[in-house]
Amino acid sequence: MSISIKLTGGLHREMVTDLARPHPFAAERAGFAFGRVGSLSNESKVILLCLYHSIPDNQYVDDPTVGARIGSEAITWAMQAVYYGRPGREGIFHVHMHPHGGRTGMSGVDRRELPRLMPGFQAVGRDAAHGIIILSLDHGAGWVWLPGSKEPVAASTVSVIGKPLRVFEKGVGR
Amino acid sequence: MSRERFSRQSFLGRDSEERIARCTVGVAGLGGGGSHIIQQLAHIGFQRYVVYDGDVVEESNLNRLVGARSVDVPAQTPKLHIARMMIYGLQPNASVRGCAGRWQDNPEPLRECQIVFGCVDSYQGRHELEVACRRYLMHYIDIGMDVHGGAPPVIGGQVILSSAGSLCMRCMGFLTEAKLAEEAARYGGAGARPQVVWPNGVLASTAVGLAVDIVTNWTRRALPYAYLVYDGNQGTVKESATLRNLKITACPHFSNSDVGDPVLLEL
Amino acid sequence: MEYPKEQIEELKTYCSKVRAATEGEITYLYLEELRLPAGCTPEVCDGLLCPVARDGYPSRLFLSVQVSPPYPRNWNVSNARIGEKNWYVFSWKVNLVSPTLAQMLVAHLTGFTKEK
Repeated sequence: MSISIKLTGGLHREMVTDLARPHPFAAERAGFAFGRVGSLSNESKVILLCLYHSIPDNQYVDDPTVGARIGSEAITWAMQAVYYGRPGREGIFHVHMHPHGGRTGMSGVDRRELPRLMPGFQAVGRDAAHGIIILSLDHGAGWVWLPGSKEPVAASTVSVIGKPLRVFEKGVGR
Repeated sequence: MSRERFSRQSFLGRDSEERIARCTVGVAGLGGGGSHIIQQLAHIGFQRYVVYDGDVVEESNLNRLVGARSVDVPAQTPKLHIARMMIYGLQPNASVRGCAGRWQDNPEPLRECQIVFGCVDSYQGRHELEVACRRYLMHYIDIGMDVHGGAPPVIGGQVILSSAGSLCMRCMGFLTEAKLAEEAARYGGAGARPQVVWPNGVLASTAVGLAVDIVTNWTRRALPYAYLVYDGNQGTVKESATLRNLKITACPHFSNSDVGDPVLLEL
Repeated sequence: MEYPKEQIEELKTYCSKVRAATEGEITYLYLEELRLPAGCTPEVCDGLLCPVARDGYPSRLFLSVQVSPPYPRNWNVSNARIGEKNWYVFSWKVNLVSPTLAQMLVAHLTGFTKEK
């Protein structure tokens, strides 16, 4: 069983443009993307992202020990979005960007902090998949918690369906 | 594979070979148009294929089915086999998922694609492919040809690119309720329509050219959608006149959030 | 697109559940375990009511199987793909003026019972 992620070129551009903007005090930005699950062969799944929400500047917490920390208002917004997304089984994905080229992955802080969001998202939107997406300047990676799963599955590919078409493969890339 | 293999297409970009190899392409219909497309994709270096056709080679196919031989008729060689041999003959390490039937009866493999070529006979078939491509986020490239009229006959055809977030075949004026209704009234059957190899070649080449541009971006031009019309009598391929008078800038027919497996809402 | 609640409730008298399925611009009504007229085989199947114009018909009732009715019908669309499922429909035009959903459904089901 494997999981892949797809998003349109337009959505990718929207995310990258937003995440690249400087923030008054945070070193990085974060946002939330929304997506739905598609079924593939052999019980594999594809996550199809359809929307992006930029976290407003004033919803960050000034914490110099991490790249970016979002505040309770941002989390509350996210939980409400998951709640309203329940009829369509729409899940939420925390998105941020690492400012380098090539393959990217979760930093130590990411690994410590981001998975903590998932149980809350799963409790509210239990029929949806949720997760984490990290972009680099020219690559991308994702981790997906399928409904009911305590552990994530690393996406085998992240495909940007635009022009140029980009297929970011797990473990492949300079 | 040696560097020499793709040395003549280096203008596509330094990493074009890898980008092409990483892409999964779907081809629905391996007849006159689809067989051309398969041949060209294999030559260029595409490695990952999902292909559909349940038919076998018939006598009337030999005037246009690329890769088919006379012996394939008595042998009742599946068109899927012709496609596989074409691909593996040029790309021995390719991955080919072949489905002997309609994609609608085995849709899951198609959803793994990033680009789908529609080489089907009916407007309804095209519509269904486009819906699937919007739902599972795949570029959809449609080709088709027709011969109509009397003296002399008129050869026409189209190559259309429809991608999520941009204009669809209805927006571009190709798919209309009138065409779908007229086809339904004919009991959906396209019938045995005239088909010849060289228009299929023009259309397939144009379609593959679009795909390579999408993957490599070698032209550096924006390509949110395309509707190219082939005039087989004049020997031209031009942008459809319907695009010139287009008043739509955003597609009203598909919602960006209508993706993934359908969810039925209880009422 | 939303349909009046009372009309949805009325539809439920013909099937076990009514659900909405949107594809493109159309919201179809998924009728689970729709009871078919006497003489049809099977007696029950899932239905998909399209209450708006499509394919040159003012409305259409798609079925999950190709039903064997008492009289032969022209199944002019077999394997229409809607909502990631394959559906069957026979040629039957319902020309009613502003029908309720149930009236529309009944008019389509009547298509099984008419000799011509």
